[in-house]
Amino acid sequence: MIRKEAIEILLETISMEPIVSANGFISRDLFNVHDKSTNFYMIGSMGLSSSIGLGIALKKPKKRIFIFDGDGNILMNLGSLTTIGKLQPKNLIHIIFDNSIHESTGGQPTGSNVIPIEKIAKVCNYQYTFKISTKKEIMEIFKKIKKRSGPILILIKIDKGNGVGERISRTPKNIKEEFMKNL
Amino acid sequence: MTKNFQDEMFDFLSSKGIKNFVGVPDSTLKQFISHGLKSKKIIITTREEEAIGIAVGMLLAKSPSLVFMQNAGFANSLSTITSLIQLYKFPLIFLIGWRGYLKNDAPEHEKIGKIQPELLKTINLDYKVVQNKNWKKMCEWALKKSEKNNSCALVIPREFFD
Repeated sequence: MIRKEAIEILLETISMEPIVSANGFISRDLFNVHDKSTNFYMIGSMGLSSSIGLGIALKKPKKRIFIFDGDGNILMNLGSLTTIGKLQPKNLIHIIFDNSIHESTGGQPTGSNVIPIEKIAKVCNYQYTFKISTKKEIMEIFKKIKKRSGPILILIKIDKGNGVGERISRTPKNIKEEFMKNL
Repeated sequence: MTKNFQDEMFDFLSSKGIKNFVGVPDSTLKQFISHGLKSKKIIITTREEEAIGIAVGMLLAKSPSLVFMQNAGFANSLSTITSLIQLYKFPLIFLIGWRGYLKNDAPEHEKIGKIQPELLKTINLDYKVVQNKNWKKMCEWALKKSEKNNSCALVIPREFFD
C-alpha cells in the first residue's frame, strides 16, 4: 500500500474531522485525495505537525483531532511524544505514515526500519498504539478506536510512492482562515 | 527584571486575555515561569520549536498564546518562525530571555547574545526590550500587536550573574 491509498481509506472515515498534516508529500497527498476546510496543511516547519495537533486537541477537547505525520517528521521532534504522553489529550489520534525514508528529498533512509516508533510512543504513555500495513487493518482499527480514549498512535507501514501529486494551490493565509472558521 | 515585576507581568498578561504560556525554561525568566506554574497556565516543552507548534495549535483554536524561551532557543527556532509564524501570520507573542547582554556573561552566550537585536531585525520580528520600569507599557504594546494579528517579541535582558 502506498501513502495515497492509505489516505483514501482514512478519509472515508475521517471525512470532515480536523486533520493537521506534515510537510512534504503527506500534505500534498492529502490535498490531492480530499482537500477540505478542516485540513491544516503545514507546508514548512518540518517536525511540528504533532505539536500543532496537540495544541488544538488541548483547546478543543470535544473534537477528535487527527495528525498525519511521517517517520522523518516525528523523528525530528521526538520530544513531542513525551509532551503528548505527559498531557494525555484523550481526543488526539496520531497517525504516522512510515516508509522509512525521506521520500520528498530523494528517498534517503530515516532509521525507522530498525527503530520501532510505535514502541517509543507506548513508553511515552500513549494509551493505545498500533502498527499496521493493510487497508483491511485500517478499517478494523478505526472501528476499534471509536469509543477509546487517546492519545492513540497508529503507525501505518507504507511503500515508497510512484511519483508526486500536485503542490497545494491554496495560500497559507487561506489554509489558516478556513481551518479556523470550520474548526 | 526582578521577581515582583515578573510576577506582576505574568498576572497582567493573564488578565488581558493570554490563556496559554508555552515554552522552555530560562533562568532570566524563572520568576515569571515559577509564578505562572502556580496558575497551571504554563506548558513546559522539550524544545522551543515544539512550544511554537503547540502555541500555533492553540491559536488555530482561537486561544491567545505566548511562547517563552532563552535567546539561544530563539536562534534554534528561526526557520520555524519564518516558515510557520510569519508565513501563515499567527499573532504569537515571544518572550525571550536575553543571555549575553552583559559583557561578562558565560562564554557560550557571547556571540549569539551580541547579535540578538540584529537577528530580530533581520527576520522582521518587531520587538521591545523590557525592564523593570517599562514592562507594563511594553506588554500593552505586544497585546495590541497580537490583537491586530501580528507576531512580536518582548526581550528581557539578563542583568545579573550567578
